[in-house]
Amino acid sequence: MPPDASVDDQAAANVVVIRTARRTARSGALWGVVFGGYVALSAAGYASLYPTPAARAKLADSFEANAGLAALVGTARHLETVAGFTAWRSLGVLSVAGAVWGLFGATRVLRGEEDAGRWELYLTGQTTRGRAAVQALVGLLAGLGALWAVTAVIVSVEGSMSTVRFSTTGSLFLAVSLVAGAAMFMSVGALAAEVATSRRSANGIGAAVLGASFLIRMVADSSSNVGWLRWASPLGWCEELRPLGGSRPLALVPVVMLIVTASVAAVAVARRRDVGAGLFGGNDAPAPSTALLSGPATLAVRLVRPVAIGWFAGLAVLGFVIGLVAQSAAAAISGSASVTSAVERLGGHRGGAAAYLGIALLSAAALVAFVAAGQIGATWGEESAGRTDNLFVQPLSRRGWLAGRLAVAAGLVTAGSVITGIATWVGAASQDSGVGLGQLLAAGVNTAPPALFVLGAGALAYGLRPRIAPTFTFALVAWSLLVEFAASVVHANHWLIDTSVLAHMTPAPAADPNWSAGAALVCLGLLAAGAGVALFDRRDLAGA
Amino acid sequence: MTLALRVEGLSKSYATTAALRSLNLEVAAGEALGYLGPNGAGKTTTIRLLLNLIRATSGRAEIFGVDCQRRPVEAHRKVAYVPGEPSLWPQLTGSETLHLLGRIHGRVDLAYRDVLIERFEFDPSKRVRAYSKGNRQKLVLIGALMTRAELLLLDEPTSGLDPLMEVAFRECVHDALDNGQTVFLSSHILSEVEALCQRVAILRAGQLVEVGTLSEMRHLSALTVEADFETTVPDLTAVPGVKAVVVDGSRVRCQVIGPIDPLLQVLAVSGVRRLVSREPSLEELFVAHYGADPSDPSRTITDAA
Ligand SMILES: Nc1ncnc2c1ncn2[C@@H]1O[C@H](COP(=O)(O)OP(=O)(O)O)[C@@H](O)[C@H]1O
Ligand SMILES: [Mg+2]
Repeated sequence: MPPDASVDDQAAANVVVIRTARRTARSGALWGVVFGGYVALSAAGYASLYPTPAARAKLADSFEANAGLAALVGTARHLETVAGFTAWRSLGVLSVAGAVWGLFGATRVLRGEEDAGRWELYLTGQTTRGRAAVQALVGLLAGLGALWAVTAVIVSVEGSMSTVRFSTTGSLFLAVSLVAGAAMFMSVGALAAEVATSRRSANGIGAAVLGASFLIRMVADSSSNVGWLRWASPLGWCEELRPLGGSRPLALVPVVMLIVTASVAAVAVARRRDVGAGLFGGNDAPAPSTALLSGPATLAVRLVRPVAIGWFAGLAVLGFVIGLVAQSAAAAISGSASVTSAVERLGGHRGGAAAYLGIALLSAAALVAFVAAGQIGATWGEESAGRTDNLFVQPLSRRGWLAGRLAVAAGLVTAGSVITGIATWVGAASQDSGVGLGQLLAAGVNTAPPALFVLGAGALAYGLRPRIAPTFTFALVAWSLLVEFAASVVHANHWLIDTSVLAHMTPAPAADPNWSAGAALVCLGLLAAGAGVALFDRRDLAGA
Repeated sequence: MTLALRVEGLSKSYATTAALRSLNLEVAAGEALGYLGPNGAGKTTTIRLLLNLIRATSGRAEIFGVDCQRRPVEAHRKVAYVPGEPSLWPQLTGSETLHLLGRIHGRVDLAYRDVLIERFEFDPSKRVRAYSKGNRQKLVLIGALMTRAELLLLDEPTSGLDPLMEVAFRECVHDALDNGQTVFLSSHILSEVEALCQRVAILRAGQLVEVGTLSEMRHLSALTVEADFETTVPDLTAVPGVKAVVVDGSRVRCQVIGPIDPLLQVLAVSGVRRLVSREPSLEELFVAHYGADPSDPSRTITDAA
């Protein structure tokens, strides 16, 4: 063999590593700038806004006791120091951002390329499927290295400032902690990409794992009595690393174990499966099942079914965990002025576990509203892909179709709210928290009206401007959530608060659900949906 | 004479384009009409308007006397549609998809469905996501043809089919015509329409330019001839029947309409090194016949090639 041919073979064998490394390193470096910049801004901002020990102590007092904020971004420690504040401020936000980056980066490399048919080209050479997966992982590792290096450099430079003064090892360890989430979810994404049958479902699996980690971490941080739950969540491990103050490198053990296990499993699955197939659900010739294929409405049920199972499981876990920790969380927050005022602001009057449950179920209500928004997104997805054309060229009414589709979505939302209530009761009852099934079932159902309103508003947007309808609907929920968080931290104008759909529900079981307000929300949603259906009947369909 | 389709002044405008300009067209029941036009001419727009998937800017259309835009459900009872770019539910299998489409349409000739599955050598047991483009096309063809609907709206239905399956498709169209069904076949390939349709309508940049029987359209059957010369290129512009002459170095490309003898005689004495002839694309034909696209001044014959 002439020497240049073997060089070519070598280059061909490494093409996946090189391609992956180049792309991921570029985006990793870019995100490193964002990570480093975020840390630097947090540290510099804190140093200049709170220059005196008195100001810092005051900040620490108010923030460290804020359970809502802790649930959102993690438990605050040592906020009277630049280091403590910077670590708290950056870890909660950047761990999640990094996890999202790692997850989608991994599924793109390991599955997007394949779905687009490019891997078949590489795999015709001497690169086997398993080896290609190893190469892709090595390439991803290069991206991770770039993210860590750029972050570490910027953090170290900022750390050397006289107003900040982090130790060098402290800076480097902070960078490690910030990148840990990205690394873990990169490996989770890699495994999901091999197990799933498409990039889309790989993203779904990865997002579900990330969502569960976030929820568990959130519950763990909502009360000091349940802090142990952090060890059940990869994002909790990031927090347990406690960079810049009581660093605990030992928490790296589960982090590294997850990365290694998921990566090895990903390569093992890659060796076994076929190109374009997955490990599960990969049967491309199943026994036909015509049970739910008798018409458009039952078709909608069939299409929604896998999504519904995922949401129901997520809501059940969330409800159960909330119920499980209610009793001990209530004990920890009893007497906290900020919690009492938060409950009162929302219209609650009961204390104890009921107060905690009332606030915690607000997050469940937001999730149920996201389910509704997701249904608008799915409906638009079906239309824009041209799949609904197959239905609309048939002798069936478009109005009837959309009404049926929305009814299926409403059923999904309502069932989700009931499941949340029951799961919360199961969790709460196991700890004898003294809140009854009737009360928690009502509290669960209480989360449905805002979501049904969101569904109606989304349907109106879908009839009017379908392209922006999913964004509009998701933004409506995100905005409501943002307003609720803002209102829990600062005193907000009530007109502003009223723009949140979540502001119009009582925090059951901290108070009895206000059914007439709920019915009004549902009626408004129905009106909007009716208008949306009428508009939909008269507009152009997007088609393929 | 019953009219399967009557279109009056049908127009569709988008923000920047007039996709269809005041279309007038009648199709008799039991007839096969070829709807010809290059890409972007407005064929899909027309069919989507007839199906009420998009709303007309002005004008109206009737399917067997039923207004397409006012009473779409009733109109759709008489119609089956085959898109050129089928988009189906990837998680359903072929047989599940056929079951669903049949249940929603309400009327299916099950025996004929089985004939179609056999004729297209289609395996309905797989999930749609596992089918190739050609197999998806077969699936929508079977789904439409099995209804035996009175009017078949076919939008470039053979895209993605291999030549053997195109033969099967032609058999199906003949079946439909024998059965008294009406066929509206959109295409950008002249020869496909020639093989199946008695009458042709030609669309260009949203405008109907000609309607007539195939014999009336004979003047459209042309040949594209490309010749390389050893020495100097002869002047072909004066040769009878030769149009759209483009000279590129020692190479000439032109369209020949009608008999090719006069051109061959000139070429024979001019030292031709290489000679290629083929059916021209519709774009080339149109430029030869009607000059450059009126709506697109930048398009010339060299671009079209
Ligand atoms: N939704 C749309 N928005 C804007 N322009 C469109 C849209 N759909 C089609 N067009 C334009 O209308 C013209 C006709 O398109 P089409 O009917 O798809 O042509 P054909 O099917 O003959 O290839 C094209 O110029 C196309 O770009
Ligand atoms: Mg078209």
